[in-house]
Amino acid sequence: MLWACILLPQLALDGVLRTRSDADTPLALLTGTSQRRTLKVVNPAARALGLKPGQTLRAALALTNDFATAEYDLTEIDRSLQLLAAWAYGFSSQVSLRYPRCLLMEVGASLDLFGPWPRFEARLRQELDTLGFRHRITAASNPAAARALANSHERLAVTEDTSLRAALEALPVAHCGLSPDATTGLIRMGIKNLKHLLSMSRDSLARRFPAEVLVQLDTLLGHRALALDFYSPPDLFDARVELNFEVTSHQALLFPLHRLIGDLAIYLTARDSGVQQFDLILEHRDRSETRVPVGLLNAERDPDMLLEVTRGRLEHLQLPSPVLALRLVARDLPAFTPTARGLFDKRPQQSLSRDQLCERLRARLGDDAVQSVAALADHRPECSGLFQPIGQTGHDEQIAALPETGPRPAWLLPKPIPLNESSVRILSGPERIESGWWDGDDIRRDYYQIETRKGQVGWAYRDLRGDGRLYLHGWFS
Amino acid sequence: MTPAYAELHCLSNFSFQRGASSAEELFERAARLGYHALAITDECTLAGIVRAWHASQQTGISLIVGSEFRIEGGPKFVALVENLLGYQALCRLITRARRRAAKGQYRLLHEDLDESLEGLLAIWLPKRADEDADGHWLQARFPERLWLGVELHRGAGDQARLQALQALASRMGIAAVACGDVHMHARGRRALQDCMTAIRHHSTVMASGAHLYPNGERHLRTRDDLAGLYPEPLLAETLRIAARCHFDFAQLQYQYPHELVPAEHDAASWLRVLVEEGMQWRWPDGVSASIRKQLDHEVRLISELEYESYFLTVHDIVRFARERGILCQGRGSAANSAVCYALGITEIDPTQANLLFERFISRERNEPPDIDVDFEHDRREEVIQYIFSRYGRQRAALTAVASTYHASGAIRDIAKVLGLTPELIDTLAGCCGRWSDRIPDEERLREAGFDPASPWLHRILVLAGELIGFPRHLSQHPGGFVISEHALETLVPVENASMPERTVIQWDKDDLDRVGLLKVDILSLGMLSALRRCFALIERYRGITWTLASLPKEDRATYEMISRADTVGVFQIESRAQMAMLPRLRPKTFYDLVIQVAIVRPGPNQGDMVHPYLRRRNGEERVVYPSDELQPVFERTLGVPLFQEQVMQLAIIAADYTPGEADELRRAMAAWKRHGGLEPHRKRLTERMLAKGYEQAFITRIFEQIKGFGSYGFPESHAASFALLTYASSWLKCHEPAAYACALINSWPMGFYNPDQILQDARRHSLEIRPVDACRSDWDCTLEASEGEQPAIRLGLRLIRGFRQADAHRMTEARQGGPFMDVEDLCKRAALDKRARASLADGGALHSLTGHRHQARWTIAGIEPQLPLFANVVTPEPSASLPPPSVGEDLLADYASLGTTLGPHPLALLRQELRARRCRSSRELTELAQGRLVSVAGVVIGRQRPQTASGVIFVTLEDEFGMINVIVWHDLAERQRRVLLNARLLRVDGNLEVASGVRHVIAGRLSDLTPLLTGLDVRSRDFQ
Repeated sequence: MLWACILLPQLALDGVLRTRSDADTPLALLTGTSQRRTLKVVNPAARALGLKPGQTLRAALALTNDFATAEYDLTEIDRSLQLLAAWAYGFSSQVSLRYPRCLLMEVGASLDLFGPWPRFEARLRQELDTLGFRHRITAASNPAAARALANSHERLAVTEDTSLRAALEALPVAHCGLSPDATTGLIRMGIKNLKHLLSMSRDSLARRFPAEVLVQLDTLLGHRALALDFYSPPDLFDARVELNFEVTSHQALLFPLHRLIGDLAIYLTARDSGVQQFDLILEHRDRSETRVPVGLLNAERDPDMLLEVTRGRLEHLQLPSPVLALRLVARDLPAFTPTARGLFDKRPQQSLSRDQLCERLRARLGDDAVQSVAALADHRPECSGLFQPIGQTGHDEQIAALPETGPRPAWLLPKPIPLNESSVRILSGPERIESGWWDGDDIRRDYYQIETRKGQVGWAYRDLRGDGRLYLHGWFS
Repeated sequence: MTPAYAELHCLSNFSFQRGASSAEELFERAARLGYHALAITDECTLAGIVRAWHASQQTGISLIVGSEFRIEGGPKFVALVENLLGYQALCRLITRARRRAAKGQYRLLHEDLDESLEGLLAIWLPKRADEDADGHWLQARFPERLWLGVELHRGAGDQARLQALQALASRMGIAAVACGDVHMHARGRRALQDCMTAIRHHSTVMASGAHLYPNGERHLRTRDDLAGLYPEPLLAETLRIAARCHFDFAQLQYQYPHELVPAEHDAASWLRVLVEEGMQWRWPDGVSASIRKQLDHEVRLISELEYESYFLTVHDIVRFARERGILCQGRGSAANSAVCYALGITEIDPTQANLLFERFISRERNEPPDIDVDFEHDRREEVIQYIFSRYGRQRAALTAVASTYHASGAIRDIAKVLGLTPELIDTLAGCCGRWSDRIPDEERLREAGFDPASPWLHRILVLAGELIGFPRHLSQHPGGFVISEHALETLVPVENASMPERTVIQWDKDDLDRVGLLKVDILSLGMLSALRRCFALIERYRGITWTLASLPKEDRATYEMISRADTVGVFQIESRAQMAMLPRLRPKTFYDLVIQVAIVRPGPNQGDMVHPYLRRRNGEERVVYPSDELQPVFERTLGVPLFQEQVMQLAIIAADYTPGEADELRRAMAAWKRHGGLEPHRKRLTERMLAKGYEQAFITRIFEQIKGFGSYGFPESHAASFALLTYASSWLKCHEPAAYACALINSWPMGFYNPDQILQDARRHSLEIRPVDACRSDWDCTLEASEGEQPAIRLGLRLIRGFRQADAHRMTEARQGGPFMDVEDLCKRAALDKRARASLADGGALHSLTGHRHQARWTIAGIEPQLPLFANVVTPEPSASLPPPSVGEDLLADYASLGTTLGPHPLALLRQELRARRCRSSRELTELAQGRLVSVAGVVIGRQRPQTASGVIFVTLEDEFGMINVIVWHDLAERQRRVLLNARLLRVDGNLEVASGVRHVIAGRLSDLTPLLTGLDVRSRDFQ
C-alpha cells in the first residue's frame, strides 16, 4: 500500500483565482458581517502589500485599496474539493476527503497503470497545475503519515517503514496532526518534536492528555489502521464562477466559461459519462438570474465541442444586465457512448413544452422578441413596470408590495406626446408625483385624467419644472 | 385672500427616521409663511419639544405641544396639549407606552386612554372614511375635544376623500380640521425624507417604492397653496384649536425633594446647620473672619435663589459615599465655593486658593448651580443604586443624550440606502475622521479612489451633509441624574434605557437647562479609585492616614518632580503633550497646576494661545493687557485668555454683554460645531469691541479662541478640581512611589499607561518589584517590607490574564492554614480548576513550588481529580526531562500572560543587534546635541494624532532605559503609512531636536523591526 496525500494549501484562493485571467493580482477573501468585514485569507501578492488574515477590511483599506476581494465561501471551497475528488477518482478508486483541504488516495494499486511513483507524481502535479491548484504531494505507507509529512514537506515519498520512523521523528509537534489543544499543551511544556514526544513515558502522557494523542501516535507509526470513507462521484455537476468585475460583453465571459466547461469535462471523464442537457446560469446584481439551457442531440463530453455549443447559445443572448457570476448545472448525465449514428436514424416526433417553445421562438425571432411583463414598486409611471426575458421572475421584494396609487392606464406611451389642451377635457386631478431622484431621473409632475373629443380617456401630465404644457402619457382602454 | 393657518400635525427630526427637518428649520419656515402657530407632534415622544420651544421663542411663532400616536390595533391620532393638566396627561401617556416596550419603541394600548385625559385635545386621523367605530371610541375618551383631521397631499383621490371625511365628521357631530402631516420644512428635503424611510425599513431607496411618499407635499406649504386645497372652514378650525392651547413650559412646577430636611427645620435652616457642622469639621481651630463672611454670603445667596434643596441633595449623596468609604470630589462652578468645602462636596480649601471663587452662582446671572461629582469608577454603581433606592424610580431617572449623526455615520446610512456595497461604504466612511461633522473634502475622496464629480457620489455627500447633526436615537447619559419631589412623569416622559433596570427621561442636559430642571452629574473617575487605594496601602504599611485635604500643601520636591516631567501615571499631566509642556512651564504653585491642566487642550491651542502664555511666563514677551478694564480678568493668566470664564467676563466688560447674554455665549461656544450659532456673537462682539477701541487683530484672535473652546473649552472651576487631584497624585508619586505604582496597577484600566509601563517606570526609579508567586501574591499588588526606605511591590494575581478573583481569594484563604507543600497541595486546598492552574503556570506563579514554566505546565497537567477513596494516595511518576524555556521564550510568555516582565526588557535582549544597526538607546540620546542625525529603535507604546496639529503624528517608543518621543510629519506619515501603523518595534532615522529639556526625534525614515521581536523565542538562545 502506498498512500499519497495531496495538500491544497491555497484551496480557497485558488478556487477564486483560477477563474480569473489575472492570477497574480493581490486578492483577499472576506468574511464576517457587513458591519465588520475581515480578511480570511490573502494571496502572496496581497501579503506583500501588508494585508494579513484576521485584519478588518477597514484596517486593510487604510493600508491600500489596490487589491481585489471576493467572498470566502464555504460552499465554493467544497465545490472545488468535489471537483478535485472527481479528478482524483480518475486515478484511484480509493480517494478520501477525510482531512480538510486535502486529498488522500491509495496509489499502490494504480502504479501498474500510471507508471512508477515519480512519473505518476509528475503527472498529478502537471494536471493540478493545469487545473490551477497549488499543491504539495507526499506519499507514505499509511495515510496518516502521508498527511503529517505533507505539513513539513513539499514533496517526499517514504516507502520503507524504517525510514518512515526517522522521517516522522523529525516532525515538529505542531505538524503531527494532534488536536490544537494537545499541540499547544505539548509545546508549552517544551516538547518540540515527535522524537521528544515518543521518548516520554506513555503512562505520563496518558495521564496528561486525552486518549487521542496516543492513538494518533500509533496511527502515524502504522501500528493502528485509519478508517476512511471513500469518495463516490455524485450524480450532479454544479459549479459556479464569481467574476471579479461586472461583465457586459460576451467576450469577457469566455475565459470563465472555458474553465467551467473544462471542469465539467473532467468530471464527466472521471465518472465515465456524458452530458445531454445542462443549464448555464448568469447572475446579475439587481435582477434575477438569466438561465441559458443548452441541449445536445447526444450525450457528449468533449470540452471543445461542449464549449462551442454553449458559446453559440451564449452569443445569441442579449445580456440584460452586467453579469456577476456564471454557474453551470448538469443533471442529465447518461452513460457516454461514442456517436455512431445509423444511416436511417429517425428523429422522434417532437412535442414541444412551453419552455421548449419559448426556446425555439427565441432562437427564431431573437431574444428580445419574446418577453413577459412585471410590475415594480416605483412611483414613476415609466418605472413602475418592465419587460423582462421569459423565465425570469425578478424583483420579488418589489412586486410583493406595490404602493397604493390612483388609477393607472394599462397602455403607457413609450414617449409622452405634447397635447393640445384645447382639444381635451380634464376629468380629474391633479395627482402629484415627485419621485426618482436617486437615479438622476427625478420627475415632478401633476397628472390628470383627460378625455379627448372622440371620448378616449387618457392620462396626461404637466411637468412642474417644465413649460406648463400638457403631455399625454397613456391611454385608459 | 390668504387665509390664516396653524399647522397641528408636524414631525421634527426627533421622530427618528421620519422627520427630515429640525425644529429650528420648521419654525423659521412657519414664521416666513406667516403661520399662526405650529404644533410639534413627534411620534410618542417629547424628546425634541424643548428645542422646539426654544425655536418658537426665537421666531415668535407659538408652539403647540403634542404628539402623534398609533394605538396598537387601533386608530391613529394626534394629541395636543391644552393646559398644564393636559401636558401631564401627555407625559403620562408617553411614559406608559414607552415603558412597556423595548428601548426606542412604544406600545400604546386602548386601556391607556382610560385614565384622565383632561387638558388634551385629539385629532383623529382615520385611514379610511368608514371607521366610525374607532371615531366613537375616541369620542368617548375626548368628549367635546375630538376633531377629524383631513390631510390632503395632491393624491388622485383627494376630492373624494375630502367629501367622505366631511360626511364622516358630520355623521359623528365633530368638526373637521385641516392638517399637513408635515415631515419636513420644505419640499427640498424630499430626497432626505425618502432616505430616512428606507433607513427605517432597512432597505434601499430603490427597493422602498411602496413605502416612499409619492410626492413631496408633506412640508410646510404656503397658505395660498392650502387655500387651494382645503375648504375655508377646515382652515379656520385650525385657529380655533390653536387658540385653546395655552400651555407654556414656564408653567412647569419643579421642586427638589424635601425629605432630606428633618421635621423641625426648613431647607434654609437645615443648610445652615450643616454648614455650621462643616465649619467645625473643616476648621477645627476656628474659622477666619473672611471665610465666615464668604460662607454667610454664599448661604444667603443660595437661600435667595431657593437652591438649598439642590445643595442638600448633593450633600446627601456625598455623605453616603463618605460613609461607604467611596472617594469623591465635586467640580463645576458651584462646587468651588466655601459652602461646598464645608459640606464636604469638594476638597479645595478656599483659604488656599482664594483666586478661584469669583464664578459662583450669581444673583444677576440667574444661572442654575452646576455641580458634577466624580466618584471612584469601580464604585459609582453603588452611588447610583443609592439614589434610586432613596428616591424611588418614580422620582429619580437618568438624563438622556440625543446621539447625533456624525459624518461617517451619516455617510454610512445614506450610502447604504443608495445601494452601495459594504466594501465601498467602508471606504467612503473611512474618509471621515472619527467624530468629524464635516463631509470629507475632494482630495481625501480622490485619494481613496473616488471621483468627486460623479453624480451618485455627489448625491450621497449632499444628503449625508443634511443628515449630519440630526439626532439618531436617545441614549442614557452616563451619570446625569434628575431627582424630583413629585413623580418625574408629570414633568417629562420617562422611557427605558438599554441597560435593564435603568430609566431615562426624554430630555438631555441642554433641555433641562432651558426648562430649569436641576441635575446632578454622578460621574466616575479612575484616579479617585487609585488615590483611595494608595491611601489604604500607606495606612497599612506605615500607619499614616492621609486624605486629599491633609496632604502637605505646596511641596517643593513634588513641584520639582513635575517640572522634570517625571509624571508617568500622574493625573492629567501624564500625556505626551503635557509632558512636553512641563519643563517649559515649570509649575511652582497650585495655581500653576490649574493652568497646566487647562493649557494643554485642543481648545487653547487652536486659539493659538499657549505659546504667548509660556513666552510671557518665561519673560520672553512683555505682559500687556488689551485694556485696563480687562486687566483684572486676565491678570492671573498674564493677559492670555485660557478659561471659559474669562471669555464670558470679557464679553461682559468689553462688549457690554448682560450676564444672561454671556451665558448664551457660553452655550453657543459649547454647541457651535453642531448647531452653528456663533455668528451673531461674532458680529456683536466685534461691533461693540471696535466701538470701545479694541484692535481688530485682538478681537479676531479672541474669536478664534472662542471657537476653539467650542468642543473642549475648559472652565477654570473644573481645572481647579482636576488640579487638586493632579497635585495629590504627584505628591504620592514623589513621596510614596511604591504605594502609588501599586495602587495604579490595582486600579487599572485607567489613565494613559498600562501596568507594564508603570512597572518599567517604577524600575527606572529603583523600586524593587517581586514576581507573581502563588505562595505570596494576593489578588491585588501588595507592598512587602524591603531593606530600603521604599517597600517592594509584590505583583498580584490580578496581572495574570484570565485569572479569576474568586480563585485568588480561595488561595489567600488557604494560605492562612500554612504554606503550600507543592502544586498538588495548592490545587487541592484552594480548589483550583484546570483553567486556574493553567493560568498560574503560564503566569510563572508556580516557580517557587515547581520550577520553570515547562516544568510547571507538566506538573499541573498531571494533577488528577481526587477520588474520595484515594484521597491521600500519591501515584509516583518517573520524572520528565524538559528543557527550561529560553530567556526570549520566558519574555514572550511573561508578556502573553502578565502583560509585563520582570526579566530583561525586550530591547535589552536586542540591544547588541540594534547596536550593530547603529541604533542608539534613549539613554545615549540624552547626551547628544541638537540637530544630530540619529537612529533609534523602540517598542511602539503610543501613536497620537492631535486634532490640532495638521496631520502630525506623535509616536512614543520605549526601550530598556526610558521613552523616546518621535514626531512624524504628515507627508512622511502618508508615504510610510504601513510601517507607521503596523510596526510594533520601530526604527526611526531622523534629526534630534532639543528645546528646554525636551527631546524629540524628527523622523526622516521609518523601518519596521517587528520580526526581531517576534523572533525572540527562536533566536534568543544566544542570550543565555
